[in-house]
Amino acid sequence: MIRHLLTCSFSVALASLAAAQQDVTAYTNARVLAGGRPSMTNATIVVAGGKIVAIGTDVAVPEGAGVVDCTDKTITPGLIDASFVPGISDNDANEQSDEVTPHLRILDSLDPEDPTFRRARRDGVTTAHVMPGTQNVIGGLGCVIKTHGDDPDAMVVKQDASVRIVMGSEPSMRNRAPRGGRVESMYYRRPTTRMGVIWAVRRAFYDAQEAMQKTQGAPDQGAPAPGIEVLTRVLQGKLTAVTTARSEQDLRTALRIAGEFGYQTVIDEAQDAYMVADELAAQSAVVMLGAPSATSVSGGGSRDGAAPRSGTVRALADKGIKFVITTGTNTRRLPLIREAMFAARNGLGPQQALDAITIEPAKLLGVDDRIGSLAAGKDADFVIWSQDPLDPAAVAESVYIDGKSVSQIR
Amino acid sequence: MQRITHPLVGAAMLAAIAAPACAQDLLIKAGRIMVAPDSILEDSALLVRDGKIAYVGNDIPTEARARAREIDLGDHTVSPGFVLAATTLKSDADLAEGAFAFTPDLRVAEAFDAWNEHLEHLAPSCVTSFGMAPSPRNVAGGVGVLAKPGKTRGRIAAEDAFVGFSLVSAARSQERDPTSLMGARSLLSDAFEAARVGVEVGPDLAVLRQVMSGARSAMIYGDTYAELNAALALGKQFNFTPVIIGARDAHKVMGKLTERGASVVLGTLSPTKRVAELELPKKLADAGIPFCFAGRPDQLRVSAALAVRHGLSREAAHAALTRTPATLLGQQSAVGALRQGCSADFLVFDGDLLDLNARHIATWVDGVLLCGAEQTQNQHSAGANR
Repeated sequence: MIRHLLTCSFSVALASLAAAQQDVTAYTNARVLAGGRPSMTNATIVVAGGKIVAIGTDVAVPEGAGVVDCTDKTITPGLIDASFVPGISDNDANEQSDEVTPHLRILDSLDPEDPTFRRARRDGVTTAHVMPGTQNVIGGLGCVIKTHGDDPDAMVVKQDASVRIVMGSEPSMRNRAPRGGRVESMYYRRPTTRMGVIWAVRRAFYDAQEAMQKTQGAPDQGAPAPGIEVLTRVLQGKLTAVTTARSEQDLRTALRIAGEFGYQTVIDEAQDAYMVADELAAQSAVVMLGAPSATSVSGGGSRDGAAPRSGTVRALADKGIKFVITTGTNTRRLPLIREAMFAARNGLGPQQALDAITIEPAKLLGVDDRIGSLAAGKDADFVIWSQDPLDPAAVAESVYIDGKSVSQIR
Repeated sequence: MQRITHPLVGAAMLAAIAAPACAQDLLIKAGRIMVAPDSILEDSALLVRDGKIAYVGNDIPTEARARAREIDLGDHTVSPGFVLAATTLKSDADLAEGAFAFTPDLRVAEAFDAWNEHLEHLAPSCVTSFGMAPSPRNVAGGVGVLAKPGKTRGRIAAEDAFVGFSLVSAARSQERDPTSLMGARSLLSDAFEAARVGVEVGPDLAVLRQVMSGARSAMIYGDTYAELNAALALGKQFNFTPVIIGARDAHKVMGKLTERGASVVLGTLSPTKRVAELELPKKLADAGIPFCFAGRPDQLRVSAALAVRHGLSREAAHAALTRTPATLLGQQSAVGALRQGCSADFLVFDGDLLDLNARHIATWVDGVLLCGAEQTQNQHSAGANR
C-alpha cells in the first residue's frame, strides 16, 4: 500500500514537473534593473509557473524553455502604484451616510475591466494600492491588487492593506453648516471645518481605545462594532494607517494625531512635505508622494492650501525620509513611470527613483515577499522597456503579470 | 413570518375561485398545443375546469369531453401564457419606503392595487401572470407576490413568493444610508450575519433567515460587474442562490453564475440593442444558466424572437417566456405550463409565437378570455373541415 502511494506521488511529481517544464520561458541578454540593487547587463530571467525561478548574468537557459531575446531592452519589476485612483465614481468610492466608515472595503466596488486598470498595465503598472475616496474622514479599507484578472478576489495581493484617514477640507465640504442647510438632511452634521474633521478622527480613535480597554477588562463582552475593530487594529500596529494630507497644517495635524494615539501613519499626497521634513524624519513617517509633478490636484479640495514644489523629492531624500512615488490625484494624469522620471530630473538618483515605484511601495504595503523586485521565488511581474525606463521616449513594450503577457506595444 | 391576508385580497381570491366553479367545462381543441417547451401535442385538446387545466390530450375522459363546451381553434397554436418575472406596474412610489433602505419585512401584497391601470396592458402583451416586486430603490425592499390580470381587476395568485433586494445605483440614495455600493454590501452582509447568529430576531431578520433556509427565493437587482459580484458573494457567504434582475454585465461573471447556480432576469430586448446584448441569452443558455426576461411587457415576445435570431434555440426561448420565470418565482406547479393542475392561462396564435408574422389571437387567464376572440369564423370552419 505504502509502495503504491509512493509510486503514485512520484508519478504526480513527474507529471507536474513535465507540466511546469512546458511553460518555462527565459528572457535573455537584457539589461535588468531588478529593484533595490544595481543594474545587471546581459542578464537572463527564467520564468515558470508564474514565478521567477532564476535571475542573473550566469543563469543557463533550461533545456526546452522558450527564449525571448531582450537585446537592447531593459527589464524592470512591474511598477507598483501605491495611491492608484480607479474609475469608480465618487458616489461609490465614498459612503456618505457617515463620516467614519473604517470597515467598508473599496474592493467591493472594483470592476476588473475598469479602463484605468488597462491604462495602468499599458504603462507598466502591475500592482495597485486602491483606497476608498477622500470625502470621508475615515473612508475605509484599501487593498493591494494586481491590475489584471477577471475576479477581484483572485487579483488581490493583500485584502486589508490600509485604512484611509483624510485631513483637510474635503471630508467636510458636502456637510451643511448649522446655518444654511435643511435640518432634515443627513448632511446636516459635523464636520464642516478642519477642526471638526480632527474632532471626528479623535473621537473615533478614542472610542477604539476605550473598546480595547473594555475588552481587556472583560473578554466576554463580544466583538466590537466592525468600524471600531478596524481602528483597534491600527492602534495595535496590525494595520497600516494612511493619512491623506496635502498642506503643511494638515501634515502637522496628521503627525500630531498619530503621536497622540501612538500609531504609525503613512502620509499620502503630502505636497507640502518639504516644509515639515524635520517632523517627518523625527516620527520616521513614510510618505506616499502624490505625483511629484503635480502643480494642482483633483478632488473637491483642489490644492487645499498646499504649494507643491518639484524639489520635494530631493528634500525628502536628503533628510533620509522614506518615500514612494505615486500618481495620486494629479490632474495631469501622468503615467507612474513619468512621475519617476520627473523625480529623477529633479535631483533624485535613477535607481532611487525606480525603487520608489517598485520595491519601496512593496515594502511599505507589506507585499515585498511576492512583488517589487526581481528575484527567484517572486511573482513574475515585470516590464520589458524599449530603453531605459526613465528616458522620456521609453515604451513599456511587454508587460507580464504572473508570467502572463498582459500588454504588448510594438 | 406570520401570513396576514388582507380582507379585500381574500375576497378577491374567493371571488376568483368561486366564479369559474359554476362555469361549464371548456374543451379547447387546437392544431398545436405547447404543454411545455419540450412537450408539444399536435391536433390535440385541453379540458379546462374551474379555471385550471383538468386534462390534457388523450387523458380527457369521453363523458367530460361530451359535457364540455367546445372551442375549436382549428390549426392554431396554444401556448402557456407568458410569465413576467418582475415588475412594479409603475407603482414604485408605493413599493419602496423612502427613509429606510432595509425593509425586508414589508409586503408587496399590501401595496397591490387590483385596479392598477397598467394591468389592462398585460393580457394584450400575452402576460398572464407576473412577479410583483418591491422597487429597486431599497437595498432590502420586501416580499413580492405572484399576481395576475383579470377580466375587470387583477388578483394575487400567490402571496409572499420571493424577497426583493437591490444593489443597483437606484438603491444608493444620497439622502439616506447607504450611499455607496460598499455601504449597501456591508449593510446586507451585516444583516444576514445578524440573522444567522442572532437568537431572537425581529420580523426583518426572520425574512433573511427564510432566504438562507431556502424557504423563499432571493431576487436581487444588479447590473454592473461590482453589483453582480456582490450579489453572488452574498449568496455564497450566506448559502442562498440568487436570482439576479437586470444583469447587464452578466457576460463578465458567467463562471461565477454557473458555479453558484444563479439565474438571471434580463431586461427586454429591442432591435436597437448592441449585438453583445442580443447574443447574451444564447451565451447564458449555452452555459446552462436559467434566464428569462422582464421589463416592458409588450417587448417580451420580440425579445424572445430577437434572442432566437441571435442563436438561441426556440425551445429555450419559449422556456424563457413561460417555464423559467415560473420556476424562478417558485410557482412552476401553478403557472408557466399547460400541465394537469396548472392554471388555465394560455395564449392563441395563428402560427409559431416566435415568428413575429404570427398573429396573437387571444389571451385566457384562469379559463376566462381576457382579450381577443374566442374563435373566428374561419377557425370554426377550419375545425369543421378537419
